[in-house]
Amino acid sequence: MNYPLWVVPALGGTWVIGIISIIHVFISHFAVGGGIFLAVAENLAYKKQDDRMYDFLKRHSRFFVLLTTVAGAVTGVGIWFSVSLVSPDGLASLIQSFTLAWAEEYLFFVAEIATAIAYYYTWDKITQKQHLLLANLYAIFSVFTLVIINGILTFMLTPSRWLETHNWLDGVFNATYWPSLAVRLLIMLAIAGMYALVTSSRIEEPKFRVFMVRYCAKWLLPVFFLGPVCTVWFLTQVPQSTLATIFSGIQSSGVGNFSILARALYTSLVLSGTILLFAFFGPYLNPKGFTFRIAILFMACGLAATGTTEWMREMLRKPYVIYSYIYSNGIHKDQIASLQQKGFLSEGVWAHALTQNNADDLKKGETIFRYQCMSCHTENGYRSMRKLLGGRDEDAICNFLAVLRETDKAKNNYAGIMPPLAVTEPELKSLAKYLATLNKGQTDTASRLTKPEHMIVQKP
Amino acid sequence: MVYNPIVSSKNSVEQFLKDRLPIEEISELAEKKKVPIHKHSIWYYMGGIAGILLGIQIVTGILLMVYYVPEINAAHASILKINSQVTFGWFIRSLHSWSANAMILVVIVHLFSTYFMKAYRKPREITWFSGLALLGLCLAFGFTGYLLPWDDVSFFATKIGLDIASKVPLIGDFLSHALRGGDAVSQNTISRFFMIHVAVLPAILLVAMGVHLLMVQFHGISEPDFFKKLPDTKKTYEKFFPQFFYKDILVWILAVNVLIILTMLSPWGIGPEADPFAAAPIGIKPEWYFLAPFQFLKMIPPMVGPIEGELAGIGVISLVALAMIFIPFYDTGESKTRSSIATAFGAAILIGAVVLTLMGALS
Repeated sequence: MNYPLWVVPALGGTWVIGIISIIHVFISHFAVGGGIFLAVAENLAYKKQDDRMYDFLKRHSRFFVLLTTVAGAVTGVGIWFSVSLVSPDGLASLIQSFTLAWAEEYLFFVAEIATAIAYYYTWDKITQKQHLLLANLYAIFSVFTLVIINGILTFMLTPSRWLETHNWLDGVFNATYWPSLAVRLLIMLAIAGMYALVTSSRIEEPKFRVFMVRYCAKWLLPVFFLGPVCTVWFLTQVPQSTLATIFSGIQSSGVGNFSILARALYTSLVLSGTILLFAFFGPYLNPKGFTFRIAILFMACGLAATGTTEWMREMLRKPYVIYSYIYSNGIHKDQIASLQQKGFLSEGVWAHALTQNNADDLKKGETIFRYQCMSCHTENGYRSMRKLLGGRDEDAICNFLAVLRETDKAKNNYAGIMPPLAVTEPELKSLAKYLATLNKGQTDTASRLTKPEHMIVQKP
Repeated sequence: MVYNPIVSSKNSVEQFLKDRLPIEEISELAEKKKVPIHKHSIWYYMGGIAGILLGIQIVTGILLMVYYVPEINAAHASILKINSQVTFGWFIRSLHSWSANAMILVVIVHLFSTYFMKAYRKPREITWFSGLALLGLCLAFGFTGYLLPWDDVSFFATKIGLDIASKVPLIGDFLSHALRGGDAVSQNTISRFFMIHVAVLPAILLVAMGVHLLMVQFHGISEPDFFKKLPDTKKTYEKFFPQFFYKDILVWILAVNVLIILTMLSPWGIGPEADPFAAAPIGIKPEWYFLAPFQFLKMIPPMVGPIEGELAGIGVISLVALAMIFIPFYDTGESKTRSSIATAFGAAILIGAVVLTLMGALS
């Protein structure tokens, strides 16, 4: 509300961040896991003095370094850029709270990139021992980037003691820090194994190929033995009210007893199970028949599982950016009462600037919609307001908004799923007036809404 | 020698089975079968995928029967209950619907890949006929299953479908009347369609499937012309069991995953309950696999010379179907010209079907 906002039609700004972030997650997990893989495999090659393995690692590291340095950096900057445009208030909070952590993260990132480049360009130019040292350094630096960013990511879901102390270390080492670090490391090792399977599937010498395929498949073992335990550990640390929303909240599917989060959870579980079966029937039982195409499909499964799980983790903290502190629309939890009293348009710096010069009700309503609703909804695209409003007229919308304004769960079914509407009575009317223009032309659906099938569907 | 109870009990179980079942003969047969490896080997996976999808259909279908009520006043409500109250009900139903569509698609892909690899030629004619019968059965499953939720689209789609079927000369009237159980789509239709969907078609399917698989086993995997012409030293094969079978499993796992992801991302909904007295919804269309013939019939003028347009259209479709059935007798592999004509005919059918389906979907 204090900064200009980028409105993305149809797709919504959050999906712009989401798409870039998911690609970045793939690459960063790949970078850390792959860094460990390169170091461990090179240690083995050094110990065995296996030239075939050295040759493999040289080829393997080419695409790896290119992807992690170029695409990793591009998507990393992309996240900052898109978040600053779409969710500036939330980002401001994160920057202000973790200035030192971000600086450290940046330092390790630079160190990681520098060692990655040195690692690649010094193959055959320095001694094996020196090169091994570079591989180990690269692995260490990449793990440290995770060690820090994991603190900030988990903080957003479980700020824990930080809410009282506002000490950044309390924020970093929050309740889910360690379980999340463990889960991420396990996933990273699995992704590294899956990528190595892709490159191993192209080895021409059959015996060495079988050896490498089996070796890479073993990198999936930790996630299968320890993954479930660490996930349960993680879930026990998450606020239990967020877990409840998995099965009850944010139903947007048009079906009954499953929320989108529950469906994402099951998808993630199924995909994870698939990877286990795949690893058993593919590289383990039939290493000779594990072709490049199958390896690519296998990797796609792994990335899909990772993407779904990440998306679910992001959804868990909704409607907050920082759980129990700042909402996804950038409004602080403790600001709600004051904004409802004094007015959103008069308190928000940029929102005020946009509407101060004799803006009419529609303009005011549109500004409120952009700042308070568009962090999750679009006019007529993803989570379309037009669709969700159905055939409600302006009065019905007013009544509905009045419910959304309530902070008490007993009076507002959406509390805990959506941020409370932070507006005064006249602002609420302006918003209703604007929203009524979005669903103009839709027939009255009062009768439709009473039909059982629609009662199941219509829950924003 | 040290006594190992695990090894010992495993051996005795093996021996028990060997004494009673033709295990050795079966494993010999499985090991004898080999899969040619070439640039088009990917198409060999289609039959297996169709099979696994059929398995999903059977399991989910049985589970749906627990709650589905084939009664005109309860059918729609029972689907609503499955979707909204039965735990995992929506999942099972969506999986059933998605896998039905996926199965039809995969069977069509399997049909055309077999067609273009000329796998219908001697001695595989019976495999080809049974395969076509299986496709027909899949379409029949789709048509009968579509009505069962008894929502407005399924009701009117069935009504239109049966009206078109009644135009078939000689048997059309009888067939559509028998299926409908009267002059209008009603309780009789639901009962008949349900019975056909869960009992008659599965029984026929088992026989057709048995014949198809037996024939595949008898004749082995077919080799395309270019592969046959290779010198023996350049031909590479893979044992079906276990090498190809393991890869088959991987493909099945992937197929099931795609299906589950589709189910999760886009669960099957249900429209308002059918009202036989209401007007048909505007722009009603059949399911995608019937769109091509539907669009073709729509494009035909009311009269083609002295013949009624629809009748002429049905005639053309029937001729095309007959040509597909009897193609093994035309293209026996002895004439290059005939082979090329058969390929061109198949390509024309495929392109025509795709274009008509797209036109139907976009219209």
